[in-house]
Amino acid sequence: MLSRVADSLYWLSRNLERAEHAARMIDVHLNLVLDESSSTPLRQRRERLLYSLWMQPTPQLLDDDYALTQYVTFEPTNDASITETIALARENARQIREQISSEMWTQINKVYLDIKCASMEEVWGHQPHEFFRSVREGSHLFQGITDATMNRSEGWQFIQLGRYIERAQSVARVLDVNVGAILEADGGGDHYVQKIGLLKSVTSFEAYSKVYHGDLESRWIIEFLLFNPSFPHAVRFCVEHMNLALREIGDETGVSKQSRLYRCAGRLNSMLSYDMVDDVLDGDLHGYLHDIQHLCHLIHEALFETYIAYTIESAS
Amino acid sequence: MARTTTRTVSQPFVNYALEAGCYDEMFNDDGAPRGHYATMYERLLDLTAEELRYRQSSADMNFLHQGITFTVYGHEEGTEKIFPYDLLPRIIPSVEWHTIEKGLTQRITALNLFLHDIYHGGKIIADRVVPFDLVYSSKHFRREMRGVDVPRNLYVSVCGTDLIRMPDGRFAVLEDNLRVPSGVSYMLANRQVMKRVFPKVFANYGVRPVDYYGQALLNTLRHLAPNGNPTPTIVLLTPGVHNSAYFEHTFLARLMGIELVEGRDLLVHNNIVYMRTTAGLRRVDVIYRRIDDDFIDPLAFRPDSILGVPGLFNAYRAGNVALANAIGTGVADDKAVYYYVPAIIRYYLGEDPILTNIDTYLCNDEQQRSYVLAHLDQLVVKAVGESGGYGMLIGTQSTAAERDEFRARIQANPRNYIAQPTIQLSRAPCFIDGQIESRHVDLRPYILSGDSVKIIPGGLTRVALRKGSLVVNSSQGGGSKDTWVLYE
Amino acid sequence: MFYTIQHTTTFRYSQPVRESVMELRMQPRSDGVQHTLSFQVRLDPKAVLSSFRDHLGNVIHSFNIPGAHERLTVLAESLIEMRTIEEPPLAVAAAEWEVIESSLSLADVFDMLLPSKFVYSTPLLGDLIARLHIRRLDDPMSTIRMIGARLYEHFEYMPNTTTVDSPIDDILTNGRGVCQDYAHVMLAICRELRIPARYVSGYLVQQNRNGTASAVDQSHAWVECFIPSIGWVGIDPTNNLTATERHIRVALGSDYADVPPTRGVYKGVGEQVLEVGVKIQRHDSLPTDEALLPMQYERVEMPPTLPVNGSRKAAPPVPLDIQIQQQQQ
Repeated sequence: MLSRVADSLYWLSRNLERAEHAARMIDVHLNLVLDESSSTPLRQRRERLLYSLWMQPTPQLLDDDYALTQYVTFEPTNDASITETIALARENARQIREQISSEMWTQINKVYLDIKCASMEEVWGHQPHEFFRSVREGSHLFQGITDATMNRSEGWQFIQLGRYIERAQSVARVLDVNVGAILEADGGGDHYVQKIGLLKSVTSFEAYSKVYHGDLESRWIIEFLLFNPSFPHAVRFCVEHMNLALREIGDETGVSKQSRLYRCAGRLNSMLSYDMVDDVLDGDLHGYLHDIQHLCHLIHEALFETYIAYTIESAS
Repeated sequence: MARTTTRTVSQPFVNYALEAGCYDEMFNDDGAPRGHYATMYERLLDLTAEELRYRQSSADMNFLHQGITFTVYGHEEGTEKIFPYDLLPRIIPSVEWHTIEKGLTQRITALNLFLHDIYHGGKIIADRVVPFDLVYSSKHFRREMRGVDVPRNLYVSVCGTDLIRMPDGRFAVLEDNLRVPSGVSYMLANRQVMKRVFPKVFANYGVRPVDYYGQALLNTLRHLAPNGNPTPTIVLLTPGVHNSAYFEHTFLARLMGIELVEGRDLLVHNNIVYMRTTAGLRRVDVIYRRIDDDFIDPLAFRPDSILGVPGLFNAYRAGNVALANAIGTGVADDKAVYYYVPAIIRYYLGEDPILTNIDTYLCNDEQQRSYVLAHLDQLVVKAVGESGGYGMLIGTQSTAAERDEFRARIQANPRNYIAQPTIQLSRAPCFIDGQIESRHVDLRPYILSGDSVKIIPGGLTRVALRKGSLVVNSSQGGGSKDTWVLYE
Repeated sequence: MFYTIQHTTTFRYSQPVRESVMELRMQPRSDGVQHTLSFQVRLDPKAVLSSFRDHLGNVIHSFNIPGAHERLTVLAESLIEMRTIEEPPLAVAAAEWEVIESSLSLADVFDMLLPSKFVYSTPLLGDLIARLHIRRLDDPMSTIRMIGARLYEHFEYMPNTTTVDSPIDDILTNGRGVCQDYAHVMLAICRELRIPARYVSGYLVQQNRNGTASAVDQSHAWVECFIPSIGWVGIDPTNNLTATERHIRVALGSDYADVPPTRGVYKGVGEQVLEVGVKIQRHDSLPTDEALLPMQYERVEMPPTLPVNGSRKAAPPVPLDIQIQQQQQ
């Protein structure tokens, strides 16, 4: 397929996933704020939220949930705000409108129009929770429509790739930012809320409970979020699906599996398939999480070099 | 239903106006339906206005579902607008179509020969059949094309010629469109929908099909492949989502199963054109280009164009890629050159034109110019290089101020204007607000020139939906109708 | 006599550019008294050269450089033979005015009457024509000689007062410019008087070769006017000359826009700086050994070529821990 179209499908998907994730994180944060039993100062929680979303904390944002919410959701100068990422997703969709089904276009356009009509005052005045839930639902609906109406072609694979790279990188990031705190807090009731918050912010609380029941030991949390092969928001699941998509794309295009892209993806895959949580905890946990994010980044770059923005000499 | 010699007006034709001095497609001068319209007439008498309205709304839904909309890409609200159309098909009997076909084939053959000549030896100019200054000063004459050979000597692969029916019933040519003609997607869409509006009538009539257009166009493009390559890579080059004809570009690309590309998807390396795909660079052999000459290559033409492909023209010149239509065809649809087309047909083919031109006055000629200036209130004045109904003065409907403005323009740049008498276009029945009324129509058949000339039966009938209006362009209140060319 | 010409052009970009597509109009013409015996181009970075001949007989070379690069050097070397030029007469028959009119049916002649990108009528041009009493004389030859002489006297040759994009109103307003401006004004006047006239891009070999480095061989521009009994007659208004054996003709066109020595498009946001050097050696007999002479460079500020897709921003490096992949728009 045309490189430009692959590019747009990838970014459409990636931006939408980014928006969904941010919506969930800010929603969980605002709910946790209501729970006074947490001993972690608000400022620290806000800081972790911003770092998780790759945003820079400023004094104003650390002091005030209203400013924080506005910044994460509506701020036009924030490239990663929910409105900006949804606008980007929609713009990408518009450029390739003929390559996606009309239902997909209608849905992404609706998500965009809904957020365009929303305002900070309105959201804050009514139920912020409802608003963020609708953003997430809009994204889920798009994914469902995509799966129902789009051919499982190369294009569909690029959409999967975008979604799962973004998710893998985001979950690893959230863990990276928060894991120090929950490890310290093992055993203390205070951090019960915080651990639930962490799981909820990556949609994982209920699924986790099914596997580990009530046990909120950080060790199990880390294991679940990193190594569970069945849960869609676990890093391992994401990475496996990334590899699946890359393999399909590779088969379709005839690109060598020895290239850097595939080697990086394969390495990440084996890390998550074979490593055990105890080894990781005994070793350098932050380093490990950092490696995951770094590999995701390398895969992203290599993806572009291989399929999208390759130089002419290398293409011959 | 008995036919009488006096005109009895039956519902729903009560408001149907027969105008003197104007040919009516459906009724003859006695007010009786013409032979080929008889069946349709009977059917319409049987249907109530309500039923017709019902059919209209299902047609609306049909268009919406098929996504056949227009000018939506600028809309922020995301509301889709159906393009304007009329429910009732325009019917043409076989014998009339036969003449049209022969006439158009003759015309496009001559125009291709003309283009080859003026970009090579220029014999028609040396023989003073067409004035040299008219050709060389045409905005669309591309010097870069002088001496350049095009595949199969075919300059115009796709042409849309606008025909009108004169008051005496003959078809005449209004203008040729052989740069980037559009509208064929509406023709195909109309047929899809109309088959379902009048299924029995359609079946009874025996209407020649049009849905093979995609295959025919593909073959026409394939015919141009460099080195006679039997399996060339063909693409459709579009200016992109902001272009008002973008819908048609995507429609045709999908219909033919070819890639829809923008300038930025293509690159030229060592004079060969490639497209950037995820599987690497793929060579492109034939480009059905829907971008004007000016914007197609920033190296050869307008350097500020971001829609084009740098180096494309040199690759074309080297014979490594084919373009449909060729660069520089605009000189043959310049309205001043139109004046000479009958002479062009005689010169290259030694035949009289089967389809005539409309009387035209060249403002470039002093005598004709003074006639025009003296009769501005009766004539239609057109700028030679414009289309879409712009740059035009309709004398009979103009104000004195408008006429003065045009007078000044003509005197300042006479080469740029022609004038024609106001022709009463023929009228056809349309379903307007629950009644059947007559409106002016024209006809745009689509002519494909490949290994042979193929003309799709019918084409786009454009209708001036506004009462009394003679302007059929969609950008100015026009719509379209399905056109049924009968087997008999 | 023979000339060896070395024309070096170096493009430098403030940031790497890629997908550069370029045309060269540097091969001297082979027609009339001039004949090109050899011509070659060396490119760095290397690329494959194609060439074609346009409808005016100009030879144009083209190439593309796909990969990222910050510098491009084009070295063109030619060897030409120049025969003696007969000085055109001071005047021709008055009847030639009519012969010009009847020659207009030839596309090549007619084209050179049409306005073009740089050559068109302006009120300032009308003022100049009036002020200098320029009008048709008895015959076209004396007319064009007169125009050349008047422009030479009226304008002042001064580099860096106009640019490569300057319209004629610039020199018409300030009275100063370079050969390109003189040529454009002369073309405008000739076409106003219905004398077909075309732009010549080429070189002027300097007169004095006393070994000093001050006189640098340069690209030069002048005009050729159509005098039916003779052909296209070269007039150099910048120097008040008719074309001599020192005028080496490279390309012909309606004006500068048709025949720039280099023309290109590239992708990227880098700004372009151009350095050009021309060295010409004269030989009385056919040279067997073409030694490269040291070049004297003249730095020319070019308006940046319009970048294609220049909106791709190059992101500054960001520390890994707050790195987030943003789509490049």
